Amino acid sequence: MTELIGSILVLLGAIFHFSAGLGMLRMPDVYTRMQAGTKASTLGNTLVLLGLAIYQPGWGLKLLIIVYFVLMTNPISSHALARAAYGIRIPMAGGTGIDALRHARRNPGGRK
Amino acid sequence: MISHVVLTTGLLLILIGLWGLLTHRDILRIIIGFSLMGTGTHIATVAIGYVSNGTAPIIDRTLDVSQAASRVVDPIPSALVVTAIVIGMAVTAVMLAFAIRLYDSKKTLSIDAFMDSKW
Amino acid sequence: MIQRLFAAAAVGSLGLVFASLAVGYSEQYSLRPLAESYVRLVPLELGAPNVITGILLTYRGFDTLGEVAVLFMVAAGVGLVLSRQPARGRASTKMRSDEASEIVRTGAEILVPLICIFAAYIIMNGHLSAGGGFQGGAVIASGVLLTLLVFPQYQPNLEFLSIAESIAGALFVLVGVAGLITAGGFLDNRIFPLGQFGAFFSAGAIPLLSALLGIKVGCELSVILERFRPQKR
Repeated sequence: MTELIGSILVLLGAIFHFSAGLGMLRMPDVYTRMQAGTKASTLGNTLVLLGLAIYQPGWGLKLLIIVYFVLMTNPISSHALARAAYGIRIPMAGGTGIDALRHARRNPGGRK
Repeated sequence: MISHVVLTTGLLLILIGLWGLLTHRDILRIIIGFSLMGTGTHIATVAIGYVSNGTAPIIDRTLDVSQAASRVVDPIPSALVVTAIVIGMAVTAVMLAFAIRLYDSKKTLSIDAFMDSKW
Repeated sequence: MIQRLFAAAAVGSLGLVFASLAVGYSEQYSLRPLAESYVRLVPLELGAPNVITGILLTYRGFDTLGEVAVLFMVAAGVGLVLSRQPARGRASTKMRSDEASEIVRTGAEILVPLICIFAAYIIMNGHLSAGGGFQGGAVIASGVLLTLLVFPQYQPNLEFLSIAESIAGALFVLVGVAGLITAGGFLDNRIFPLGQFGAFFSAGAIPLLSALLGIKVGCELSVILERFRPQKR
C-alpha cells in the first residue's frame, strides 16, 4: 500500500518535471522561462523525494534534509539569475504589462 | 543493459559537442562544446567499467570484505575519471581566460574577427 | 555552406566509429584481473574501506601527484593571462550598484557555513565512504565562488592562499618521500599505523594525504576564481 502511494507521488513528480521542460521550450522570453523552469522543477523534485521517503521509510530523515536543501537553493539561484538578466537589460516579451522592479526602484521605500 | 544506455549517452554527448564546436561562431559556445566533449568522455569511460549486477566498490555494512571481489564494479575507470574531471575544469578556466583577453583586444566574441593572422 | 558539409562529414564518420564501438560492446560478468587484485588488496594491505581512494592515493599516487602539478601550472597560467594592474584603494561608493539583492545575501549567509562543513566532511571521510581530496576541494571552491558573487567587497587574501597551497603541495611530496624512507615505496601509506578497519583514524597516511589534497585543490580553484573578477577601474 505504501509502495503504491510512493510510486504515484514519484509519477506526479515526473509529470511536473516534464511540464517544466515543456514550459521552458514554449515560453516567449527569459523571465517567463525561468519562472516555468524553477517552480515546476522544484515542486517535481519535492514530490519525487517525498514519494521515495514513503516508499522507503528508513531513509525518511535524509530525504527530508535533501528537500530542505533543494528548497533553499533552487529559488535563490533563479532569483539571482533573473536579477542578472534584468541588469543586463534583456528585453521582455511583447505582452508584458507591468515592470514592478522599475517601479520599486524609482520610489524606494515609498508607497507599496 | 544499463551500461549500454550510459555508453550510448556518453558517445552521443561527444558527437553533439563536436558538432557544436565546429559550427558555432561565438567563442563561448565553442568552449561549451569542448566542455560537452569532456563530459561525454567521462560518462563513456565510467560506463565501460560496469559489471553486471555490481555495486559500488566501498566496503561497509552492506558489502563484506570476503565477497567484495565478486560483487563490485570496476574501480579503476572511476579513479581515472575523478582526476579527469578536475583537469577538465582547469582547462576550461584557461580557455575562458583566453576568451576574456580576445574580447578585450577586438571587442567582439565571434571568431570570424580572428581568422586572419596579422603579421 | 561548405564548412557545414565538412563538419557534418567529420561528425558523421566519428559517429560511424562510435556506432561500431557501441554495438560491439557487451557487459562484463566478472572483474578483470587487475581490478580484482586491487579490490582484494586495498582492504588487506592499506586498511581502507573505500577502494577508489586507496587506488588514487597509493597505488596510482604518482598520477595524483602529476595532476596536482597540472593544477598548479593552470593556476599560474591563468594568473599570467589575466594579470592586470592591482587596484589601488577601494572605491566603496561605486560598489552600490552591483551588490546582490537581499534574498541572495540572506541565502548565502545560511549556505556558506553549511558548504564549508560539508566540504570538510567529504575530505575527512575520503577513506571511509565516497569522497576524497578532489571532491572536497571542489566543494570548498564553490563556497568561495558563492561568497565572491554575493559580497563584492570580499577580497580573499591571495598571498595567504598561494602560501597555503604551496605548503600543502610540498607536504604532499614530503609525505611521499617519507614513505620511501620508512615503508615500501614512494607515497606508501604505511608510514602511520593502519589502525582498526573502518575507524576514523585508520588507513595510515590516507586521511593526511586527503586533507592536504583538499586544501591544495580548494586554494587553487579559489585563486583561479579570484583572477576572473573584474578589476575596478
